[in-house]
Amino acid sequence: MTVLETIPEKLGTTEPWVETGGVQWLTPAPMSVRALTETMNDLKARFITVTAYQLPGEQGFRLEYHWDLDGQLLGFPFALAGNSIDSIYDLCEAADWIEREIHEEFAIDFQGREYEPLLLRAGDAPGVNLREEAKK
Amino acid sequence: MSYKIPMGPYHPALEEPYKLDLICEGETVRDAKLHIGFNFRGIEKLAETRNYIQVIALMERVCGICSNIHTLTLCMAMEKLTGLEPPPRAQYIRVIMAELERLHSHVLWAGIAAKLMGFKTMFMTCFELREKVMDVLQAISGNRVNYSMNRIGGVNRDIDDPQAVLKMVEALEKEMARTVIPIFTTSSTARSRCAGVGILSREKAISCGVVGPVARASGVPQDLRRAAPYAAYAEMDFDVPVQPDGDVRARLLVRALEIMESCKILRQALAKLPPGELNTGDEKIVFTTGTATSRVEAPRGEVMYSVSWKESARNPSRVHVRTPTFAVMPAIRWMVMGARLADTPLIQASIDPCYSCTDR
Repeated sequence: MTVLETIPEKLGTTEPWVETGGVQWLTPAPMSVRALTETMNDLKARFITVTAYQLPGEQGFRLEYHWDLDGQLLGFPFALAGNSIDSIYDLCEAADWIEREIHEEFAIDFQGREYEPLLLRAGDAPGVNLREEAKK
Repeated sequence: MSYKIPMGPYHPALEEPYKLDLICEGETVRDAKLHIGFNFRGIEKLAETRNYIQVIALMERVCGICSNIHTLTLCMAMEKLTGLEPPPRAQYIRVIMAELERLHSHVLWAGIAAKLMGFKTMFMTCFELREKVMDVLQAISGNRVNYSMNRIGGVNRDIDDPQAVLKMVEALEKEMARTVIPIFTTSSTARSRCAGVGILSREKAISCGVVGPVARASGVPQDLRRAAPYAAYAEMDFDVPVQPDGDVRARLLVRALEIMESCKILRQALAKLPPGELNTGDEKIVFTTGTATSRVEAPRGEVMYSVSWKESARNPSRVHVRTPTFAVMPAIRWMVMGARLADTPLIQASIDPCYSCTDR
């Protein structure tokens, strides 16, 4: 059994890996993003980034967390009904700047951490850049 | 007693605008806080207003040094959404352009590092060599900076005379082996200014998620050309230089050795350039609904693009770019802790930072 094949069981999901668009995707629900990060840390996977998408209407957001495991790109999508999710910064130092950037771009709150401005300058508010409401 | 020294956002020791707040005790740096965003242009938002031709031209302008890498990564992601596979000749030309860009970037960085070391003769030598690399790039693409080589399904221009380019590459390799490599690897000036300075331990490199030459200089053997080959890299024979020390000298050595490996890859790619078409020739590009991701080993490390498109839409609904400097820059804090204040310009330059990429 490969390391990849052991991950769904570690995450407590029966969902299979789905390869699409260059990524091995796995929906880790009901596992939290913090538990996922701990699992990835145990496997010594390399954190790459988080990509945020605002979904149409009132559907909220989708955050895609990416790790690299021996050259394989893994993706874990998380749907946000509201605009908050647990921060993983204290578990994964590499996630610091991307959490700050997404907070500024989409006004998503990563709970359990404090922010310092990253890209925003004085007078700008979180969400001014990529949030749909701000674009209109 | 500690005191704060602000360096930047505009400062003679910085290549581009960003700010370091250095907390010092005497001449020793105890901590540092980084501030970016001075080059922020909102390119990801702009990309949502561009069609599939315009978005390539836009993303070529994320960075002035590795412009080709950005269009390559973007086109690779868009090819996954369109089902188009570039022909073999195009894959080889993509490798040739990527390695020439790596040479250009590494030699430019070597010149700047030499200047910061107080080694100005070397700065002039490196920039003269960089001009020659740019001559090769111009001979192939017609341009010195934004090459416009990549398109969905292949490349725009051919390399008509690979032997002529090979001669230019061999001349470059000879000059680099004669001057740049020995001076950076053996000179006492380079050693005294760089050895033991700005150390990033292997553990910290892994925990910060740093990429590219900075990771490899801290003993992390990570290179996407080897781990997840793209274009024609699977057919190339090359080594991935790794150094264990994690200091500025290790970063210098890794890049110097990578220059030689790039020349090795270029010689192979030019010699084996297969015949055939440059691109799929599709006049009309049809996207399927979905998200595609691609990764490429840029001169500074891993670049990742996530592109989201809706079928029959004119523009992408989202383009997310994760650049290498964005991953590496936070580690500067750990590199300057305990360093001498006078070494901080060289330490921050040793990651070969690109603030245009970082801010986008």
